[in-house]
Amino acid sequence: MTLMAAVDASVKVAGLQDLTIHRSVSSIPFAGRYRLIDFALSNLVNADINSVGIFASQPFGSLIDHIGVGKSWDLDRRKEGLFFLPTTHQNGGIATVGSFRDFEEHLQFFEKSRQTHVVVTSSFVAGQLDYKEMLAHHLASGKDITEAVGASGSLKSYILSRRLMLELIRSYREKRILSVEDLVNLKKAPYSYGVYEYKGYFAIIDSIQQYFKESLGLLDENNRRLLFLPQAPIYTKVKDEPPTRYLDGSSVSNSMMANGSTILGNVKNSIISRAVTVGINASLDSCIIMQKCTIEENCELSYVIADKDVYIEKGVKLSGTADRPIVLRKGERVTKEDSQ
Amino acid sequence: MNEKVVAMLLAGGQGSRLKSLTYDIAKPAIPYGGKYRIIDFPLSNCTNSGITTVGVLTQYQPHALHRYIGLGTPWDLDRHKGGVTMLPPYAEIDGIKWYAGTASAIYQNINFLTSCEPDYVVILSGDHIYKMDYEKLVEYHKEKQADVTVSVLEVPWEEASRFGIVNTDEDMNIVEFDEKPEKPKSNLASMGVYVFDWEKLERYLEEDNNIEESTHDFGKDILPKMLKDQQKMVAYPFKGYWKDVGTVDSLWEANMDLLDPSAGLVLHDPAWRIYSSNPQLPPQVITETGRVQGSMVNEGCVISGTVSHSVIFQNVLIDKEAVVEDSVVMSGTKIGRGAHLSRVIVPPDVTVPEKYRLLEPAAGITLLTQDLIDTWKESGQQ
Repeated sequence: MTLMAAVDASVKVAGLQDLTIHRSVSSIPFAGRYRLIDFALSNLVNADINSVGIFASQPFGSLIDHIGVGKSWDLDRRKEGLFFLPTTHQNGGIATVGSFRDFEEHLQFFEKSRQTHVVVTSSFVAGQLDYKEMLAHHLASGKDITEAVGASGSLKSYILSRRLMLELIRSYREKRILSVEDLVNLKKAPYSYGVYEYKGYFAIIDSIQQYFKESLGLLDENNRRLLFLPQAPIYTKVKDEPPTRYLDGSSVSNSMMANGSTILGNVKNSIISRAVTVGINASLDSCIIMQKCTIEENCELSYVIADKDVYIEKGVKLSGTADRPIVLRKGERVTKEDSQ
Repeated sequence: MNEKVVAMLLAGGQGSRLKSLTYDIAKPAIPYGGKYRIIDFPLSNCTNSGITTVGVLTQYQPHALHRYIGLGTPWDLDRHKGGVTMLPPYAEIDGIKWYAGTASAIYQNINFLTSCEPDYVVILSGDHIYKMDYEKLVEYHKEKQADVTVSVLEVPWEEASRFGIVNTDEDMNIVEFDEKPEKPKSNLASMGVYVFDWEKLERYLEEDNNIEESTHDFGKDILPKMLKDQQKMVAYPFKGYWKDVGTVDSLWEANMDLLDPSAGLVLHDPAWRIYSSNPQLPPQVITETGRVQGSMVNEGCVISGTVSHSVIFQNVLIDKEAVVEDSVVMSGTKIGRGAHLSRVIVPPDVTVPEKYRLLEPAAGITLLTQDLIDTWKESGQQ
């Protein structure tokens, strides 16, 4: 029994608008150097799944830029490998995972495959789901569809046979179901539904609050140990950034730091992405700073999420709260006057 | 450039003064700068200079280098036309032809070069740390209508007698080579970077091969012979950071130079990236007890101790109360709680025990070895 995978990168998640103006949920930066889809893709390739379709809807420029031909995930194959399968519908993407309308548009992807079973997964969950184990569980259970469920809810990952997938794609309209998630939630007859209990770490990113909480949650060593397993690496696009520089007079504690940054100021309880500059005497507490941001000298930021390319001029003071972090949108420039 | 430029990168050196660091890898494969290997610098220079055909000549302990370079993907050298070609010595009907000197290494691969149909050949050394635009060098060579151009660097006068010194006239024409002169007449040192017109290079390599007493070396044989024959030979004045790391001390210095903005080697430069093979590791973490000052740290590290003025490679774990200062710690190393390291190079994958300290701190830089750690354990000092 072998697996192919359909990654749903077109799901609309209502609570993340500030971070999804220019990108899909799947390409939201997470954990300093990753995009959310890296976790789904890495889980798949770590289970030796070599046939992966990414179902995307607009705007997917950022996603394509990130994934390319799939080289970072070893999915640039002659045989099978990565398939980028965008929907042609203007309003592609629905609120549940595994849209049959999207699958129907690329029916051939499922028809032509030589694999026996299909993984359907979302692209906004970070975890270490072992699909080999899940497939074994699915086969042993004899159920038609198996859903991965963890302590705090569904991982929105499913396994079903390719034969059943084709049947559902051909009949979803008359059955009045929208997606795999929809089908599993409704438990429509005549199918049988099983649950695969997932015991590891996972984070569902479906709101700004969740994004903030789960990001900073990675500062807890236990979470990190469960998410970053040496035997199951999380792969991402290679960037060739040099190591991060910590200059004299800087102070960093309890923080996760990606490469290529230059730190002159003070950082604590924060996640700093690639190629960020933190100026002299600037203080960051409980912040998530995405790639290529500049924070000039004497800034004081707490509970701030700064999207890519944000420029914060000197002396800016911003403070949000854990429940309501301040979100600075991609490319925004903040001056001292703005913040007063 | 309409003409075709091929780079030949000499990467067969042993670097015996680097002791245990080069027991099983060639000098160009030595880790440097927190994530790189030295050969990343000339390879990235080629890529950034638009040279897309590169031959890498290996001989001493070539396996790590061959595996590291692979198809050349990290340097964008996996190409349909040209790209990177690994050139170890090989056997012919007449027997195996080891590379006796720098010139013989190129001579043995004359068939490779002929098949590339180059107009110009750039000879590079795989063990120098520097950022250089070879395109400018080749342009200069063309402008001067030279047969060979030697890249030179101004060195401090008091150090000039350690280098191969090049004496020139006012127009930068080379009039004399002075190998490690006692009384240098100039402070322009050869960097071991040459551009040749291919036809001239081919001719002189063939000739040199037939001279029995030749050491088959560019600096000692080929260039002096060309000078004697009054071939047009010019010096190209290179400005910028350049370092030949031959010893443990100079490898340490070259790493420390990265922490000193005035030293002139900037890695944080999107316009001239140094490419490298990137392992997939999570971001580094500085924990609640971790302190990092004046240092560079790579991905995958977890720092719970104090790091000052040091270069820390990927996947290094530094436990609480450990202190690392003025040191270079290579990948995969674990530094135990309360250990203290100062002015040390720690090779890859070493486990430094808790409370370890150097028994006899050397005047220079200590290359930490398992022997030193075992001796410390036996001394019962813990």
